[in-house]
Amino acid sequence: MKRRVLCSAVMAAGLALAGCGSAARTGSPSGNSQQGQQKLVVWDWKSGEPAAATYVEKVKADFAERHPGVTVEFVAQPFDQYYTLLGTAAQSRKGPDVMLFNGGGQIRDRADALLPLDPYVAQDRSRLAGWDAFTKDGRTYAAPVTLQGHPIYYNKTLYEKAGLDPANPPRTWDEFVRACSAVKKATGAACLALGNKEGFGIQFFMSGLGSGILTPQEYGDWIAGKRDWTSPHVRRIFELWKDAGDKGLNSAGANSTAMFTDVFRVFESGRAAHVIGLMSDVGHWKDFGEFLPPDKIGVMTAPVVTGGATPSLPYDGGIGYAVARWTKDPRLAADLVRSLTSADALTAFSASAGAIASDTTIDVSRAGPAVAAIVPEIRTGRPALHVALSSKTLDLMGRLSQQLLSGSTTVDKAVKQLAAADRAS
Amino acid sequence: MRGTSPSVRPAGPGRAGGTTTRREGRPGAARTGAGRTSRGARAERLAPYVLVAPAVLILVTLRLWPLVLGVNYSFTGDGASNGTPVGLSNYLELAGDPLFRTSLRNVGLLVLLLPVAVAIPGLLATFIYLRVPGHRVYRAVYFFPAVLSPVIVGAIVTLMLGFDGPLNAALGMIGVGPVDWLGDPGTAMFTVVGVHVWATFGMALVVFLAGFSTLDASLLDAARVDGASLRQVVRHVIVPGLTRTIQFVFVTTMIGMLTSMFGLLFVMTNGGPEGSTYLPEYYIWHQQGQLNRPALASAASTVLFVVMLVVGLAQITLLRRTGRLD
Repeated sequence: MKRRVLCSAVMAAGLALAGCGSAARTGSPSGNSQQGQQKLVVWDWKSGEPAAATYVEKVKADFAERHPGVTVEFVAQPFDQYYTLLGTAAQSRKGPDVMLFNGGGQIRDRADALLPLDPYVAQDRSRLAGWDAFTKDGRTYAAPVTLQGHPIYYNKTLYEKAGLDPANPPRTWDEFVRACSAVKKATGAACLALGNKEGFGIQFFMSGLGSGILTPQEYGDWIAGKRDWTSPHVRRIFELWKDAGDKGLNSAGANSTAMFTDVFRVFESGRAAHVIGLMSDVGHWKDFGEFLPPDKIGVMTAPVVTGGATPSLPYDGGIGYAVARWTKDPRLAADLVRSLTSADALTAFSASAGAIASDTTIDVSRAGPAVAAIVPEIRTGRPALHVALSSKTLDLMGRLSQQLLSGSTTVDKAVKQLAAADRAS
Repeated sequence: MRGTSPSVRPAGPGRAGGTTTRREGRPGAARTGAGRTSRGARAERLAPYVLVAPAVLILVTLRLWPLVLGVNYSFTGDGASNGTPVGLSNYLELAGDPLFRTSLRNVGLLVLLLPVAVAIPGLLATFIYLRVPGHRVYRAVYFFPAVLSPVIVGAIVTLMLGFDGPLNAALGMIGVGPVDWLGDPGTAMFTVVGVHVWATFGMALVVFLAGFSTLDASLLDAARVDGASLRQVVRHVIVPGLTRTIQFVFVTTMIGMLTSMFGLLFVMTNGGPEGSTYLPEYYIWHQQGQLNRPALASAASTVLFVVMLVVGLAQITLLRRTGRLD
């Protein structure tokens, strides 16, 4: 009896409150902005790694010079949980003052918890590249630390074994497929190392090969948000994805191979000739260097699939530091962001952590031939195609791409669903 | 919290009032030294409330209040319409989301697989109880996976079941084509459930063994003397003797399956391939943590809560009914 009373009381309270309040906190200005704040807390998933030690040191030194007496605390969070933790912090409006973000959807979805940085970072604009990935509706929410992009890496040793010229990688899709079958015949290696367990494979595929499929006009429109899903070239991306699977170009078991980091092991161990990789953090030149000699790692531009396409390096701001809206002293926190992206700090970061830094003035001549091939492409590079899509569309695209590989959906159906999801978000 | 504490407190004075009236009706004796007795009596009357208060407060503030908040949030919007009431639209979105429907279907699948998950430890415990050769070793071996965390189990098994992993290599040697254990939407869910059962049946096995220790050995001896076969012994002696234990294992296995598969899913499949291994808890985590949709996640949590409530109540009714039969 009593339990029933309690239950109905809870029910009644629930119903009475239904629809009021909000799941995420609504924005209200955080007061006390001028109250002397002695400590800034930075959240990231990098500072705990030994490779980032010198970077953190340089940042702290640079900031201490300008603001003696303010301590900076770096809190390294596990990346798997990072955005969940950040979401919880944002809801309670108690959390870090400065935080690391991935560019694109991750930061745009959370822009309402962040402080626009435009007035604070004006001086860094021309020195750093990759701002677009941290911009939403014309406002900048973070300053880029690294650039993230999708160069196509190839294994020169396998090319040599197959009698191909490693200095002259294929330029068109037909040449690419021919080179692949030569490699397969001579070495048994697959053409493309593909990991699509998390649904990331399609993102890399779309961005890595997109500039060889869409015309420059279409590419620009796509990035600007005018995405024409009915265009035959957009459809071609997904056709090619399905074809590559059907024709056995991909490494085996793509849907159960994790992009991070199983698929890069497939490439490193010579079981696949190409991989659409990354430029920073993992899955890149430095990462592969553990098993492949640096001079055997080639970088090629996207093979041309449709006439009129001009291949370019797809890249965006990779990770960048943003300031929380609830921080007590926005100017101070923004100043810390400037220290986090100072030339000195970024030099240290790119050297030890293995990243293409956002600062294009850094000397990379000692980083090896792959980096030497990537950096000149940054000038002509364009934002990656998948970064322009919302996380919801990307999530759906991941699942649809798995269905395309397994044959449980058709290209037409997939493109139609993606178009609907893209319009809705 | 503010809303709930008044509802608890008025009950005290109300009750106390009631008792005092009754006392007053009693003849003289109680009246002598009235002041002291009534103070002592009041303390005695209040004592139970004071004593249960911590438990009630913890339940109310840490369980019920968040539950009410969650239900409440599920009627508000996300993103731009954050904080505005949107009525049932989150629930309609859930109903229209194939991914959420898959996750509920998978819950149904888990319920269907429950008898298998109970039968395996039951059968193995029977063998151990009947002292098959090497039963001591088996007892330790069966329990061993139960001490591993799901993340470790998931990581190891993922390596083993990789498309180019050792299991497929072994299958290849005996001429069976490779199976994409975790990459084929038709097999992935069964693979994950299988691993979950393997990793957790040790606990149920121990419960079964404890149940066996209460079994009357003379019944078994009698059955043997009468020439019962193994199957007849299991069917007519062991199963009836273990009804309570079997019920208990059913309930705990059910709870384990519905609430602690997240770790395995997270490590082994990420909900894939093609979203085929989604469970409500993974869906909730995904919407809240990855897609930044706390209100939609609240709605999904509420649905999961209702499902668990229904399943739990159904089990309790079932247990009561069978309990009465004993």
